[in-house]
Amino acid sequence: MIKRTVWLLAGLILGGIALVVLMGQENTSDAADNAEDASGVDVSDRRGALVDEVVFTQETDVGKVAGLIERGSHQVFAQGVTNTTTFHRLQDSTKGDYETAYGSNTELTLNPAEFESGINPFSNRRIREAMNWLVNRRHVAEEIYGGMAVPRFLPMNTAFPDYARLAETARSLELKYGHNPEKARAIVREQMRELGATRRDGKWHYKGEPVTLRILIRTEDARNQVGDYFANLMVDLGFEVRRQYRTAEEASRIWIATDPAAGEWHVYTGSWVSTAINRDVSSNLSYYYTNRGRPDPLWQAYNPSEELNSIAKRLQRRDYSSLKERRDLMARGMELAMKESYRIWLVDQLSVIPRAANVSLAADLAGGIAGSRLWPYTLRYEGKVGGTMTFAAPSILTEPWNPVAGSNWLFDTMITRALSDPPLVPDPYTGLYRPQRIESATVTVDEDTTVKRTLDWVSLETRETIRVPPEAWIGWNAERGDFKTVADAYPEGTTARSRTRITYEEGFLDRQWHDGTEMSLADLVLPWILAFARADENSPYFDPAHVPRFQVYQEYFKGWRILERDPLVIEVYSDQVMLDAETIVAQQAMSPQAWHTLALGMMAEKSGELAFSSNKADANRIDWLSLVSGPSLDILKRHLESAQDRDYLPYASVLGDMVNSEESISRRYQALADWYEQYNHFWVGDGPFYLHSVHPVEKTVVLRRNEDFPDPATKWLDFSEPEIPELALNGPMMVRHGESARFSLDITFGGEPYPREAIESVEFLLFGSDGAMQKKGKARYTGEGRWQVELSESTIEALGNGSNSLELTVTSSRVALPAFASHAFATVPEGTTVMEATDE
Amino acid sequence: MSDASLSTARGTGALRDLRRLAFFTLRRVLALFVTILVGVYLTIIIANMGGKVDELRELQIRSTVAESVRADPSFQTMSSEKRNELIQEQVQMEIERRNLDEPFIWRSFDYLAQAIQLDLGRAEEMHSDAGSRDVYDIIVERLPATLLLFGTANLLVFFVSVYAALYLSRHYGSRLDRLVIGLAPSSAAPGWFYGIFLILIFAFIIPVLPAGGMVDIPPPENDWAYARSVLSHMVLPVIAMFISSIFISIYSWRTFFLIHSSEDYVEMARAKGLPASLIQSRYILRPTLAPIITNFLLMLIGLWSGAIILEQVFNWPGLGTLLFQAIGYRDTPVIIGGVVIFAYLLAVTVFMLDFLYAILDPRVRIEGGQS
Repeated sequence: MIKRTVWLLAGLILGGIALVVLMGQENTSDAADNAEDASGVDVSDRRGALVDEVVFTQETDVGKVAGLIERGSHQVFAQGVTNTTTFHRLQDSTKGDYETAYGSNTELTLNPAEFESGINPFSNRRIREAMNWLVNRRHVAEEIYGGMAVPRFLPMNTAFPDYARLAETARSLELKYGHNPEKARAIVREQMRELGATRRDGKWHYKGEPVTLRILIRTEDARNQVGDYFANLMVDLGFEVRRQYRTAEEASRIWIATDPAAGEWHVYTGSWVSTAINRDVSSNLSYYYTNRGRPDPLWQAYNPSEELNSIAKRLQRRDYSSLKERRDLMARGMELAMKESYRIWLVDQLSVIPRAANVSLAADLAGGIAGSRLWPYTLRYEGKVGGTMTFAAPSILTEPWNPVAGSNWLFDTMITRALSDPPLVPDPYTGLYRPQRIESATVTVDEDTTVKRTLDWVSLETRETIRVPPEAWIGWNAERGDFKTVADAYPEGTTARSRTRITYEEGFLDRQWHDGTEMSLADLVLPWILAFARADENSPYFDPAHVPRFQVYQEYFKGWRILERDPLVIEVYSDQVMLDAETIVAQQAMSPQAWHTLALGMMAEKSGELAFSSNKADANRIDWLSLVSGPSLDILKRHLESAQDRDYLPYASVLGDMVNSEESISRRYQALADWYEQYNHFWVGDGPFYLHSVHPVEKTVVLRRNEDFPDPATKWLDFSEPEIPELALNGPMMVRHGESARFSLDITFGGEPYPREAIESVEFLLFGSDGAMQKKGKARYTGEGRWQVELSESTIEALGNGSNSLELTVTSSRVALPAFASHAFATVPEGTTVMEATDE
Repeated sequence: MSDASLSTARGTGALRDLRRLAFFTLRRVLALFVTILVGVYLTIIIANMGGKVDELRELQIRSTVAESVRADPSFQTMSSEKRNELIQEQVQMEIERRNLDEPFIWRSFDYLAQAIQLDLGRAEEMHSDAGSRDVYDIIVERLPATLLLFGTANLLVFFVSVYAALYLSRHYGSRLDRLVIGLAPSSAAPGWFYGIFLILIFAFIIPVLPAGGMVDIPPPENDWAYARSVLSHMVLPVIAMFISSIFISIYSWRTFFLIHSSEDYVEMARAKGLPASLIQSRYILRPTLAPIITNFLLMLIGLWSGAIILEQVFNWPGLGTLLFQAIGYRDTPVIIGGVVIFAYLLAVTVFMLDFLYAILDPRVRIEGGQS
């Protein structure tokens, strides 16, 4: 009997396995079949996305990623991976490939405070500076990070536009602060003696006690090895080292929370992350080197030189009159920052974003796929159209989704981006905004303001004074239920530092929401009114958590008005001015949100059942509004029925004129009811994908292609790959005095000459045998992607005899990352026999 | 003794028994209540590291707010003073939202009072997958997944091991018996350890089973297809748990039954020539029923906690993963919620077992009672 039972159970288990084996085989082939089915569709006729369905799911185990991609069950892993094993596996894989992002970096944060007892070597500016020579950044990048990092010296990301703008300064500072441990040792010896320390048996002592350094080493990533590497260097220098291995939380209690003068730590292995390309990092000097950076005790210990402090302040206030002046300030600021060295920048980390080899999409140079606005527009299978694609992310549906104050988690916003179609999208490789739904824009700024225009869809003007028209709307009067005009707020009139006139594309408001209803001006105006209402204590939508950030917006905002309705032209006045005219337009452009879904949320918040923000929800012990799942749905459904019954239009007195017709209100609600019936959620957008289904417990979200999307599917395909210039520098290996020398540089991408119009600059630096810069200049274009540097006889003469180096820096308008090439050559006396060979 | 006096004596005896029972019940309930009280309060103290967690959370809030302001280009043009003021305001708001401005000791009593009343309250950081902040919703949402996976695996292990152990106890020293004893040390490795190998083999080398998750991606819309998909996702974790527990479980039950099989009354039954099935059911299983049931019930309530690492390895959305996340977020109400329900379940089980023992084993009596 027992035996039979055991055999029966064993049989059942084996049978179960066999059954699921067969089912598993069925399932794994599905995705591939879908893609195959869709092949053969003519791309030129296709609208919107190039794939039919995107499925997002949660996968927390990075170790599985490469296997899942190779197996074909997943196509993209949205998170940047810094694990070298996964990286090498992807490199070796025929089915897997990856995108790269440069958004994070590693540095050593030094404690510059003078300790209450004992000495702190890092309170000495020269010792801090010497650490730059001590560390070997190439070793850190190649050995510790396994090639997944590039050396970094300066307080600016090497993939950001400011680095390209300052490439010449950056290059010379990088050469100046190159690995030179002997120099570092000499400085440390000299400065430690000045601090009163003595060296005995190879160890530093102060007042008879060994000088002990406490190094806070983060344990979660490669900083563990970075910390050990630096600790070993310090031991070699003669310090006692106490290694304190800590997680983020444990370490932050020490390096952020304690008074740096208490001497609880000397060095911390820090890291900073950027989720998008920052086109203006001039405020970095203030943030990282002055006590204005943060209110925490460590920042209060920063006491930079007067000159650095003043430059940092001017850059932060944008107190410069031209781009050249800004560049000069930045260049000098960088030099001084290296001398101050509160931080030793080590590497810009490369994270790889795994994807299947047959998948292509635009990943942001800093933020990867999760930070890219263009991924939904460029996602496709190579050589195929349509099909299903599965994305994995470490977390999705982390917090409730609503368009007002819902989840802002990286991977949630990555998904919701595909559901909307913004007026402008940032170029993933330069950070410059490009028009998606606008035709053109004109930015007018104060004469004393420095703004740069790069792309021709925007024009830039200056005016002595920009007066804000009195009829422009500057706010919302919640009590009166009406707009507040500039005339109300400033009876004497007011001025602004910028005016942005935005002309939206023809038919902008004739487009449809995903539920099939037509857009209207109310979709543009209601979100703006709501932003004011949420900051107004007299409004039922008042939310204290919204107030601080709104006040910042209000401080700069000076009004807006609608100039024309068809095509839509608006004018926005503001005191906030950014470096790029394109960024100013992006800041001021208004995006529509479906007013009928917002209205349901407003009704639920007014009735005290749900709240748009987490803060208000917690304060009132109600649920945080989610348009896609959970207890919110039943409440919203009830309000939908009520809104349908009375054709509810929020702020009807002002929005009544902005909806298309009386009937359009009931049409909207009917469409929303049908939408809910079909998809069981209230998220209605206008993007290239619509939200098909949400499975909260299974942590799966399914998006499907919006077939009515107005743009052709190929619109953004040119942005699928970063066009990083590839350089080949050729020239003589030996040059005799009395002769000139020519060096040729081939700039290509994918084997083709790099377009001339895309090259912003090709600059060279010439370094002599002593490492000092001898000359700098620009290369000359000679055609077909080829550039030339010619060094005259006198320049060669000035180099003397010895080994020299020619460094070339190429910046492109298509990618923020500059490219570098170098060529070593020897200068020899006249009459020496010279080898004819050249190198590459 | 007359009938009347006999019935009076019986009535008095029943009343005395009832009084004893009531007193015993009250004493047990009180003892269990105090145990729960102490256990839950200890959890509150430990989960908050005696209040140290407040400090960590404040720092975390400060860093998060400062970083979000740093990363937002619209704040770049603000003066540093204003930006720092803004950071301060946001930090203060978050601190107040989480009640971190109230001393931990008072909050700890609030937590305790709520927990004892089974008012699980609201989570401080987490949400249910569907978006609710109520701890009840958060827990209940994950419960079915855990019950399904761990219920299947544990019931399978329990019944297979009990029956297999009975069989082996009768075939003591057989080749199968020696094999099981030899395999018993394999249970030293936990389920997730086998899970990793199973995933490697059956999901990647021979890709016939899913590598993780609870259902296909995207989940099938048809109910039967959904159930079939869940079943296929359960195979590897169930096998992993089965392999890791089955041999040691059989081994321990087998030893237990062997000890009982050599009792004098069993030998006597054998000597009387009673059939083996009767000896097994009446002479071995019956007297050992109390520990079997205890084991079974404790196994059932053990399902509540799930298994953190195993769920992580298989990406299974159960209570173990939830607890792991709650610890990561330092979300005290969710941690307490999980613990307090477990504590109540344990207390009720122990309480029930006291009575079950008395029913199952006539020798068990309340102190002072007649045997």
